[in-house]
Amino acid sequence: MNETCRKIRADILSISHTSGHGHIPTCFSVVEALYAIYRVMRHRPEEPLWSERDLFVLSKGHAALGHYCTLAACGYFPIEAVAAFGAFDSRFGCHADRFKVPGVEASTGSLGHGIGVAVGMALALKIQRSDRRVFTLVGDGEANEGTVWEAVMVAVDQRLDRLTILYDHNKSQRRCLQIPNPAERFRAFGCTVSEVDGHDLQALETALTRSVDRPHVVVLDTIKGHGCQTLCEEVFAWHRRSPDSATLTRLMEELHAG
Amino acid sequence: MRGKFKQTVTELAEADDRVLVMLGDVSVYQFNQFRERWPERFYNMGILEPTLISVAAGLASQGLVPFVHTIAPFLTERCYEQIKLDLCYNRFGANLVTCGASFDYAWDGPTHHAYTDLAILRLLPGMEVIQPGSERELDALLRSQYANGHPTYFRLSDHPHAIDTGEVVFGKGSVICRGRRDVTVITAGPLLGEVVEAVRDLEVNLLSFHTLKPIDRALIAEFAHTRLLVVHDAFGLLEAVQELGGLRVWYHGLPDRFCGWYGQLQAIRQRLELDAAGIRRAVINLLDVAP
Repeated sequence: MNETCRKIRADILSISHTSGHGHIPTCFSVVEALYAIYRVMRHRPEEPLWSERDLFVLSKGHAALGHYCTLAACGYFPIEAVAAFGAFDSRFGCHADRFKVPGVEASTGSLGHGIGVAVGMALALKIQRSDRRVFTLVGDGEANEGTVWEAVMVAVDQRLDRLTILYDHNKSQRRCLQIPNPAERFRAFGCTVSEVDGHDLQALETALTRSVDRPHVVVLDTIKGHGCQTLCEEVFAWHRRSPDSATLTRLMEELHAG
Repeated sequence: MRGKFKQTVTELAEADDRVLVMLGDVSVYQFNQFRERWPERFYNMGILEPTLISVAAGLASQGLVPFVHTIAPFLTERCYEQIKLDLCYNRFGANLVTCGASFDYAWDGPTHHAYTDLAILRLLPGMEVIQPGSERELDALLRSQYANGHPTYFRLSDHPHAIDTGEVVFGKGSVICRGRRDVTVITAGPLLGEVVEAVRDLEVNLLSFHTLKPIDRALIAEFAHTRLLVVHDAFGLLEAVQELGGLRVWYHGLPDRFCGWYGQLQAIRQRLELDAAGIRRAVINLLDVAP
C-alpha cells in the first residue's frame, strides 16, 4: 500500500474514533482513487480558487471524511482541523459544504446529484473552450439512482471529453439492487471505459491520464473497507460506525500489517 | 407569454454572452432562431428534468447564466430536491421558466395541472418566486432578475392579462384600485384579469403581486386593517400573505382534492368559482358578513 494512502486511512480511523462519526468502509474503498485524482489534477492547494484548476465533485458525498483527509494530505489544510468532524460548529460536516472546506467544489450528500453538476461544469468548460478537466466519483450504490444514468446520457450526447467519471465498484449493493457488469453498461451508453484495480495507484494514474474523445468512465474494482481485514469482513456492520479505543488499536494494527 | 419569454431572452443573449437556454423538449420551435444564431448556447437536452437542474447548477458554477424551460409540474415537483440542493444549497443561480401554469393544460388532466409549484418553491432558502400576470411584467422581471446569482422561478401562462399594473419592480406589489369598503382582494398572476372584472363596481381594494417571494410585506401591512380575501388559482399566495400574522384573511381558491376535469381553462375556473362570476360571488359574500 502506498504510504500516503495508508496515512489517509489512519487519519480516517483516528478522526472517526474521536468524533464518533464516519462511513469508514466506503471511504477506504476510494482512498487510492481520491489520491490519484489529486495527483493528476491541475490544482494549487495554496490557491483553492485558482482560475485554471481542474474540478472534482464527490458525488458519493458520504465519503466526505476520505475527501477531507485526502485534501489535508495534499496540503489544503492541516489534518488537525478535521478532528472536529461532524461537530456542531465544525467546518467539516459528515457531508461536505463547499463554502466551508477549501477544495470542495460542490456540496453533496444526497445521492445522484453530484454527477449531474459535474456534467454541467464540464459542459461549461467546453462552451468556454477551456482545457480544464472535471472528475467525479460515483458509488455503485449511488448508481441505483436514475439520475446517474441521465447524467451519463447527457455527457455522451454533449461529447464531454474532458469529463472523467470514476465508478466505485465496491459491491456495496450485494444485499440490494446490484449492477452487474458496470463497464459493459457504460460502454453501451457510449462512454470510453477503463477497468482498473481501484487500489493500484499506478494503474489509476495511467487510466486517469488516458486520452479519450468522449466521456471516460474508470470502473474501479475495489474492496469496501480495503486495508483492514475486520472492515472487509463486516462491511454492513461497519457502514456507519466509529471504533472504540480497543477496536481502533486493532484496526490500526491491521492497517499497518498490510 | 412564451413568445415574450423568447423575445426577451434573445435580447438578453445579444448583450450577455453568458446567457444560454436549456429545454426539456418543450417550446423548441420558439427557439429555432436562437439555436441557429447561438448553437453553443442552446441545448434541447432531453426529457430528464432533474438532470436539467443539476447541469444548470454546474453551468452556473462556472459563471454561465442558464434559462431552464419545460412544463411546470415536471420542472418543479419532480425536481424539488435538485432545486433545493444543487441550486439553493450550493447557491448556484439559474432561471427556471415554466409553462403550463395551474390549469393552462386543462385538457391533460391532473398529471399536467400545476398548482403547488409556487408554494413549495417559496420554502427554499435563497429562491426567488415570480408569477408574472402580463407580458409586460414578465419582460421587466426577466431583465431585472436573470443574472443576480439567485435561483429564480418564472411561472409563465398562456393566458396573460393585459392590465397595466403600474411600475414593475421585483418584490413590490401593485395597488390596482382603492375602494371605500373594508375588504381588500389580493391576487397574483393572470387571474387578475378575472378579478378586475369581478370587483369592478364593488368598492373594494385590489392588490396584485407578481413576486410571491419575497412578498411585499409593506403593501400588505398598509391594508392590514381591512379584511383580506386572497383569490388565487394556486397555492402559495395565501401562505405568503400570512407571513405577516395577525391578519383577518379569507381564501377563495383551490380545494384539497385533485381537479380531475379536462376541457379548457375557463371551464375549470368556472367549476372552481374562479371565473369572474364566481369570484364576484365570493367577494359579495364577504362584504355581506358583518366586519
